[in-house]
Amino acid sequence: MPFETIPAIPLPLTAHQAEVMVQHQIKKHHVAIVLLHWFNAVVWMLELATGSALVVAPGYRFMPIWYITLMQQALGTSANLLRLHIAVGLIWTFVFLAYAIFGWKHYLHTEVLRNEIGIDRDDILWLKIRTLKLLNRTKAPLPPQGSYNAGQKLYALLVYSMVPVIMLTGLIMTFHLISTALVAWAMVLHFVAAGMVVSGLLVHVYMGAVFPEERPAFYSMITGLVDELYAYRHHFKWWREVKIEELKWAHAIDDEPVKPGSATPDEEADSALRS
Amino acid sequence: MARYAMVVDKERCVGCQSCTVACKSEWDVPNGHARTRVRSAGTNGTYPNFSSVFYVSQCNHCDHPTCVPACPTGATTQEPNGIVTVNTDLCIGCGSCVVACPYGARYVSPATDKVDKCDFCAARVEQGREPACVETCPAKAKIFGNLEDTSGRVFDLVYRKGARRFETREIALGPNVYYVGKQEHLEMAAASFSPQPPQILAAGFVWTKLAKKMVFLAVGATFLGQAVAFFRQLSVGEKQFED
Amino acid sequence: MMTISRRQFLKGTGVAAALGSVAGAQTFTPGTKGGKRVAMVPTNCEMCFWRCGVMAEVADGKVLKLQGNPHHPLTNGKLCARGNAGIALLNDPDRLKYPQIRTGERGEGKFKRVSWDEALDFLGARLKELKQKYGPESVAMFPHGVHSGFFATLMKAYGTPNSAEPAFAQCRGPRDIGYQLTFGRPVNSPEPVDLEESQCIVLIGSHIGENVFTSQVTAFADGLAKGAKLIVVDPRFSTAASKANWWLPIKPGTDTALLLAWMNVIVTEKLYDKDYLDTYASGFAELEAHVKDYTPEWGERITEIPAAQIRDTAHAMADAKPGVAIHPGRHVTWYGNDTQRARAMAILTALLGAYGRKGGIFLPTKLAQGKIPLPPMPESEKGRADRIGNLYPLASEEAHGLTQGLIETTLSANPYPIKGWIVYGQNVMESIPTRQKTLEAIKKLDFMAVVDVLPMEQTRYADLVLPEATYLERYDPPAIVTTAKRPYVSVRQPAVEPMYESKPGWWIAKQTAKRLGLEAYFPWTDPDDHLRRLIAPMNINESELKSLGAVSFPGKPYIEDRAESDGPLFPTQSGKIELSSSVLKDLNFDAIPKYEAVEEPPAGFLRLIYGRAPVHSFTRSENNAWLDDLMAENPVWISTVAAQNLGMHDGQRVVLENQDGVKSPVITLKVTTAMRNDVAYTVHGFGAQSAGLKKANQHGFSDTALMTRIAIDPLMGATGMRVNFVRVLTEEKA
Repeated sequence: MPFETIPAIPLPLTAHQAEVMVQHQIKKHHVAIVLLHWFNAVVWMLELATGSALVVAPGYRFMPIWYITLMQQALGTSANLLRLHIAVGLIWTFVFLAYAIFGWKHYLHTEVLRNEIGIDRDDILWLKIRTLKLLNRTKAPLPPQGSYNAGQKLYALLVYSMVPVIMLTGLIMTFHLISTALVAWAMVLHFVAAGMVVSGLLVHVYMGAVFPEERPAFYSMITGLVDELYAYRHHFKWWREVKIEELKWAHAIDDEPVKPGSATPDEEADSALRS
Repeated sequence: MARYAMVVDKERCVGCQSCTVACKSEWDVPNGHARTRVRSAGTNGTYPNFSSVFYVSQCNHCDHPTCVPACPTGATTQEPNGIVTVNTDLCIGCGSCVVACPYGARYVSPATDKVDKCDFCAARVEQGREPACVETCPAKAKIFGNLEDTSGRVFDLVYRKGARRFETREIALGPNVYYVGKQEHLEMAAASFSPQPPQILAAGFVWTKLAKKMVFLAVGATFLGQAVAFFRQLSVGEKQFED
Repeated sequence: MMTISRRQFLKGTGVAAALGSVAGAQTFTPGTKGGKRVAMVPTNCEMCFWRCGVMAEVADGKVLKLQGNPHHPLTNGKLCARGNAGIALLNDPDRLKYPQIRTGERGEGKFKRVSWDEALDFLGARLKELKQKYGPESVAMFPHGVHSGFFATLMKAYGTPNSAEPAFAQCRGPRDIGYQLTFGRPVNSPEPVDLEESQCIVLIGSHIGENVFTSQVTAFADGLAKGAKLIVVDPRFSTAASKANWWLPIKPGTDTALLLAWMNVIVTEKLYDKDYLDTYASGFAELEAHVKDYTPEWGERITEIPAAQIRDTAHAMADAKPGVAIHPGRHVTWYGNDTQRARAMAILTALLGAYGRKGGIFLPTKLAQGKIPLPPMPESEKGRADRIGNLYPLASEEAHGLTQGLIETTLSANPYPIKGWIVYGQNVMESIPTRQKTLEAIKKLDFMAVVDVLPMEQTRYADLVLPEATYLERYDPPAIVTTAKRPYVSVRQPAVEPMYESKPGWWIAKQTAKRLGLEAYFPWTDPDDHLRRLIAPMNINESELKSLGAVSFPGKPYIEDRAESDGPLFPTQSGKIELSSSVLKDLNFDAIPKYEAVEEPPAGFLRLIYGRAPVHSFTRSENNAWLDDLMAENPVWISTVAAQNLGMHDGQRVVLENQDGVKSPVITLKVTTAMRNDVAYTVHGFGAQSAGLKKANQHGFSDTALMTRIAIDPLMGATGMRVNFVRVLTEEKA
């Protein structure tokens, strides 16, 4: 444990502390999330690759002809492109539907959602500094972040709002639900929603896979783990929560049951922090 | 290569709807819809001098079809023989082509949820038979054939007998269903059933005029942002970021 | 490239379809529909009675498509809307599906499902009982269509002479009698009108185009395309009128006056075919004297057609002679003087030398037809109940009887009681006017059996309901047609097995005969045997007949084709065309038609006239899902002027009330400039009153229901129906 007490704000670290922390891995993503993420990534690649080649009419088209021809040739016919697009889309929808049903309790409650998409004052500041930093306009430190930084939250927000649209419009088109007019509008919404996701995806991919500072985040999507130093520097609030949680667990194991009248583990953690 | 066309003889047609039902039977056209229709152009004149005529309509397999570019998925295409077909495997039934047709020849089938329309009975023609409507017509009012067969009746009617296309100065797509008959009757039918300007669905309008720009802008902007960051990353070097 | 040669076709079908059972495994690859392998089964259509040739494409016991049979000599591969929609009759979910016996009160509509054995035993027992109690004449049959021959045999063998079809007294009887009196033979069906060769076509009330018999439409269109002039006489601007050189919007009921005025022009201007008349006709001098006063000016006063136009059209006919096709019409029971009008048409035809001539009316060609030897039929001492040959001297026994006569007798028991009805495929409620009487008669019956495909209105009143197979599921006697330029025989053979528990008519008749001990009258073993016996003397190949559907023979349609051995040209009493009828003279009727005015509609009333729509066959097709889709109800048409007088507009919902206060349901008004102001027109056949017909029930209105008055032709008993008047009421006022 590199700290006597858990700091309330990110304090400068000694070399030793940093050394210890970089060695210490903490768990960030459940293996299910890791799998889901990559499943999703593959689906999106396929859907984008096929979907973008399905729009061929002049005026509607947004991909170059050569690309569309290439895709058609790769799959034999346009109809096959559409079949693949629909099949993959349906599997994707089904998997996420199952995820939503079975993982309801674990993932889709307020606390988790606040973690993933709740934007607070720190987040807004973070976004400002982050952008300025990218443009080399400031040296100010980034405000502390939870398990997901504000950028990731914004992207999550986008994805969470667009994915149901994509799924629903996809279902409407596939099964020609309700009316022809609705199908036509579904087509537009499907396109816009996917376009929005793609615009966010560009940032996501760059930040996750190319931007060096966030590289551990990229690896965490493979191993599920991040080193503590990264967590401390990039997701301080989350790091602190993890530490408090660890402390609670430690108390729970060491001290047997908490005696009545004595401090609760929370209070104890608080006093530890205060000291 | 053949180039197919149909000629309808207005003087022969008695409006008996045999073609409509033969077509319905051939293609399982659901009730309330039709691939080919027979409508009266009303009655002109004053008592007791009247004229009236029937107008037989179907897909015109236009030389410059508006439905083909209107189909977002490319389900509607034109064969080299001129037949405009709908690939139902690609059609999502959005109705874009339905409003794009100046002749109202298309409908979204409630049976299949796909767009359906006359295809000159391509499957029958391939077998060497006539389209179902032509074969059944008791009045022999419909003549089908290859425009490039200089000895054929269709060639004769179109190029020598002045069979007329139903188009206007504004909407001239080169329809390949021609009409013969008395000038008066042709004009009556043309007046009652003149081609209507091709329409674009509101959704299609939004896509082409707004959504596409919006998506391009969003994707372009983020791409640009990331590109800037990336070049900075390259120019500054990765060390800087690693504390 | 677009046609298949006969040889190719034969090779393709390689067929010998068995008649009794469904055609076997012959294939024609691929079918036109979806490229499926199909059996091609040729048969005769029965969406109406024209019996066009159809080809049924059959796969997996289902009819995929019907199309015209290109080998049929009359219809040549053409098929009308109704013929194309035969599949929707076959698959009609409202079909009668199994035999039923009444359990509730008559008319209550309560039935129990029974087996065929039970049903036929019941029928046999009731017929025996009636015969015992009241004699066999107490049972009357109401059949429809040529295929009712099996039942005709059954009932004759049973001992009753009482059988009547609307085809005679509600349809074409007057015309057949009128032509028989003039030329020695009836017109018959299909009408031998040489439309395609005609130089001048004259339609009097006939509305070809709306009235569709495929071959007639083909001939009509061909004739016009070849340049025939067209004269259409009709109070309404019909489809045919739209193709006419002259549309003569005649005042209804005055057609005979127009015909007489035409004769006047032709006779006084000596435009007739003199050689022809000299050679073949008698009574010209009398005619000449008779028509002298019927000038076009007189005609104009009566018919409201300008005299100049009467002259012009008479000249057009004369210019075209002898190739003038004056269509004798089909449904001609209009005013109770219809036989004389038909006579006038026949005489005009004769004046123009058009009977037996190219472009006129052509001659039938006899076909050798096999006879099935039967035991002698029992003679009825009581005679017919409809008074044929008694009250109405010219209604012949061989014709189809008088439906309304049988109904009257059922009500009055005069000359003797009628206690049982067998209704086979006839819509007695909608085909015969004064339906209230029909209903009362039915209520007086001890027993009524209905054999039909669909639950028509009378089914509800039956004691026994037997479901017949549709024409696509059964064998019927072949059509042996002499009134075609090439006479022919064509077959009706099953394309698929009967659906549900329905059975073909021949089977029902034969089985019933067994119950009555009359097997001897059905000596043939099965349909194949039946067909073989009928075609035996024709010297044709049976399997070719079955695989092609029809076989035709050289015809002798024109006088010049005829030899002595072909029999008399004009088999009248005198052997000549009788311009003045000796038969009528003997019977104290007008030997040459006179004009007799018919009753005028009272003030505020319009004469109710009716016709056909190309997509429906009277009451038979309204429940057909495909045809219902094209026309689900019948609006009533009135002229713009008539509508303005009433302050009504197109599309308004209105009620018709006839002269006797009978009202129609609420219906749609169609207003058109192109018709006379004194008529209301509608399409016959709608307004079914049968809950079992889910599509047709109460769609539109029944013109028959408004025909509470009839004018009976004294010559032959036909019921004139255009003697009913209606006024149009707004929905609120009604």
